[in-house]
Amino acid sequence: MTSTPLLGATGLDKAYGPTPALVGASFSLRAGEVVAVMGPSGSGKSTLLHCLAGIVRPDAGTITYDGRELTALSDTARSALRRTDFGFVFQFGQLVPELTCVENVALPLRLNGEKRKAAEARAVEWMARLEVEDIAAKRPGEISGGQGQRVAVARALVTAPRVIFADEPTGALDSLNGERVMRLLTDASRDTGAAVVLVTHEARVAAYSDREIVVRDGAVRDAEWAA
Amino acid sequence: MTLPGETSRPSDTRRPGDTGPARDRGPAGGTSLAAWARDLALGARFAVTGGRSGLLRTLLTATGVGFGVALLLVASSLPNMLFQREVRESVRAVDGSEQVTSPRPDSFLHLGRTTVYRDDVISGLLLRPEGDAPPVPPGASAFPAVGEMLVSPALRELLDSPEGALLRERLPYQVAGTIGQAGLIGPAELRYVAHADFLDTENLDGRGTRYGWSVPEEPLNAFLLLLVVVACVVLLLPVLVFVATAVRFGGEQRDRRLAALRLVGADIAMTRRVAAGESLAGALLGLLTGLGLFAVARQFAGAFTIWDVNAYPSDVVPMPVLAALALVAVPVASVVVTLFALRGVAIEPLGVVRTSTPRRRRLWWRLLLLAAGVALLVPLMGEVQVTGTSIDTVGVAAGTTLVLIGLTTLLPWLVEACVKRLNTGPVSWQLAVRRLQLSSGTAARAVSGIVVAATGAIALQMLFQAMENDFTQLTGEDSSRAQIAIGADAGTAAEARGMIDRFERTKGVSGVIGIVESHVWRPGPLKEGEEFAPRASIRVGDCASLGEFATLPSCVDGDVFVFLAHGAQGNPDDSWVTRTARPGATVALRDPYPHPSEPQRPEGAPLPQWRIPATARVVDSRPDPTGMYEYGILATPSAIDAARLDEPDAQAMVRLDPAVPDAADHVRNTAEAIDPTSWVRTLKDTERDAAYSSVRTGILVGSTLTMLLVAASLLVTTLEQLRERKRLLSSLVALGTRRSTLSWSVLWQTAVPIVLGLVLAVAGGLGLGVVLLNLGGQPVADWWTFLPVVGIGLALIAAVTLLSMPALWRLMRADGLRTE
Repeated sequence: MTSTPLLGATGLDKAYGPTPALVGASFSLRAGEVVAVMGPSGSGKSTLLHCLAGIVRPDAGTITYDGRELTALSDTARSALRRTDFGFVFQFGQLVPELTCVENVALPLRLNGEKRKAAEARAVEWMARLEVEDIAAKRPGEISGGQGQRVAVARALVTAPRVIFADEPTGALDSLNGERVMRLLTDASRDTGAAVVLVTHEARVAAYSDREIVVRDGAVRDAEWAA
Repeated sequence: MTLPGETSRPSDTRRPGDTGPARDRGPAGGTSLAAWARDLALGARFAVTGGRSGLLRTLLTATGVGFGVALLLVASSLPNMLFQREVRESVRAVDGSEQVTSPRPDSFLHLGRTTVYRDDVISGLLLRPEGDAPPVPPGASAFPAVGEMLVSPALRELLDSPEGALLRERLPYQVAGTIGQAGLIGPAELRYVAHADFLDTENLDGRGTRYGWSVPEEPLNAFLLLLVVVACVVLLLPVLVFVATAVRFGGEQRDRRLAALRLVGADIAMTRRVAAGESLAGALLGLLTGLGLFAVARQFAGAFTIWDVNAYPSDVVPMPVLAALALVAVPVASVVVTLFALRGVAIEPLGVVRTSTPRRRRLWWRLLLLAAGVALLVPLMGEVQVTGTSIDTVGVAAGTTLVLIGLTTLLPWLVEACVKRLNTGPVSWQLAVRRLQLSSGTAARAVSGIVVAATGAIALQMLFQAMENDFTQLTGEDSSRAQIAIGADAGTAAEARGMIDRFERTKGVSGVIGIVESHVWRPGPLKEGEEFAPRASIRVGDCASLGEFATLPSCVDGDVFVFLAHGAQGNPDDSWVTRTARPGATVALRDPYPHPSEPQRPEGAPLPQWRIPATARVVDSRPDPTGMYEYGILATPSAIDAARLDEPDAQAMVRLDPAVPDAADHVRNTAEAIDPTSWVRTLKDTERDAAYSSVRTGILVGSTLTMLLVAASLLVTTLEQLRERKRLLSSLVALGTRRSTLSWSVLWQTAVPIVLGLVLAVAGGLGLGVVLLNLGGQPVADWWTFLPVVGIGLALIAAVTLLSMPALWRLMRADGLRTE
């Protein structure tokens, strides 16, 4: 592989108190690529995702995104980057319970300063694509878990991000719903050219990826980056 | 799905922990006392063994309820505290009920002294025994010896400190002991009791043989009582609201626990009772905490002086009815509130579902409460007499309470009705409004404390304003012309002049209105019907000083004026004055017919006389800086030799240099040094009625504490909400949400209900104020009294938001996303 990675990390260390979560971890992601981050519980998968997304600052190591050193950016700049270039899907959706589904999907656009009507119009388009347009006016408490995850995927895609970070997106779903969410997520990301960092411990979920890396005891085995 | 209110199926009657087939022991969801006790106990156990978060919730509830109960007990102690101060004052006062005309072995002369040191009032009692068995003053172990004084512990501390240096100069007695509790009205009182051998029958308050007036029995004036009743209602309702809020803390954690109970077979009624048991444990713990806090606060009652109120722990005793009410109402309220809160919640085995579309709040019963309150108050209109002492306490309290409760229940409806219409706006606004739309009850409940406090405060302020004329007298004193007035006996005119000079030389004095005062009499025989010779006062001083007593067209040394008060302030008619004092008249400088008890002129000695110059001008009297219209003769020093005057007094009114620190205390020291029986008065433009002051003081103390409690309640509610949304906040940050967006959201979420609450409180407070004023037929004096209350409300919004920020920012960290 010769192309420059869109997102890369080398020598990442991160500890929570005396407990090391990442030890010299490295990672690379090319544009449009779907990479599954696998490993047992507590291995450091989510911490790696949080570091790569600029949510958490590593104790050591560097992360570069699109030629910029992410670790050198201020909190404000990293927040702005997350609003414009990144999208997120979490295990439990993490939708804002007070907002309707369409308002939840439109939220990242509104955080970017887009007008409400325009934001919600785009949100509805993505909801249709994710097959949840019929629940647009409902609140998260009134829909099923699978629907909630698809709304969360729509929210992640609505800003047309270059990278989507998905942390156990099917962890709270049954297999049928999990399959559906993964199919819609990967199809949509491939259509838009978004890269996906997919944290999972399920092989059948990882099967949707182009490449798999394994995190064990905070260390990452990414053969391609090492090469 | 089992809906709230549905009866449980037989299969629901299994208890958690049951493994075998159901035994015949009656339905678990039954309503027998045993079932209640069993389920409440189970809930109570969960409250303390439900892990860290469960324990935290219980502690939060206990803390909230504890502060509420403590405040309730403190508030209910205020009337007794104020009453005990009066009792103590009476007990230590010299009994004046018996007229003692001649010295006895147990008699003593006494003179009360009050002096001001900086802003503190120091009271003193000067004594001189006339026999060998004077009674020991209350709080003392022995009668002080000549030149000695007993001091209160607070005064001793002040005198021993560097700050007391100036005061030591003023009290020229040796400290010989300490006054005990029996002789003081509060532990922080500054008081002394001294043995002053200069006391004689000329300069005393009276002669006594024992201490202790009867305990005051005169009830509070009806209007003051009205104020106290309203104030108690205003203070106590927010406490109950706070209790209701506190027992709901940590609702989401509890919901999960209840769902787990349903999963193992508990029915709906049982889960609700278990939930009530959890709240009950917190409330009972809170009750104990409150009693403990009150007991501790009571011990420290003496360490705090708020608006001059300071009390002994033994005087801080709650009203028994209110204390008993707190002991019963708090646990019962916790159970009732929890059951009430769970009405709209379906606790299912797989989770708790809050009814997605909350039931629309009804307006009619809220208005009914309000109307009932007004209906109770309206018939009482005009019934309360300002000078009377009777009042339909129950009617006023019930009416006021119903109005306040009505307004409080109106708030959730108002918040719901208003936020339903709010839509457009930035993300922060949208987040806040949507949250309020989904669940406005929590915010409205917290804010309802403000509605009660603010409504009551506005109504009370209106009462205060209207009563200002009745209770606040204009003293007539003009503090712009002089700030301190002093009067002292002088043996001779030279001494009087010397005294005035000493004031002029005193540090911090920028000017002295100084005069030597005596009297002149009409010479010659008494006329028919006269029992004594007519007399007029004569004041000798420079032109500037004389100009303070009368309007002088011009004045040079050597001038004399006859000044007339034209009967103002009950002064005699001018014709009576001019019998003695008129231009060209000769006057006697001694009383031609002294009272037999006074020194008599030697037989054949000539009566000293003085002729008022014929050029003397008759002028009009004007109020002097103490507000008095005087009359008589004004003479400049060259017009009369002051040494000829009879028993002259020195009178000085002093202007202070505001740039000199402690100027007033230097003047008071000078006055004390000149004459320990001199009178010193700080001139004030207004003076409040003492009873009015103490009620106002009590209400101020209470409403300040209530507002703080409301703020604490709001803050805890906000923090609790934030804590329960930790994961969501973290994920919003992950999406790139700015901190400021979430901060503004918290501000809006706090501000919208408070602003609506304040609008309601202003409308309700003004309305209640008008009704209460009408009880006494008083007009509204000021419609703008609500402004300070609105200011406090806005300050609360700012304070709660600012204090929430550290927690918000902490919860916005990525830690919230961690699941392992």
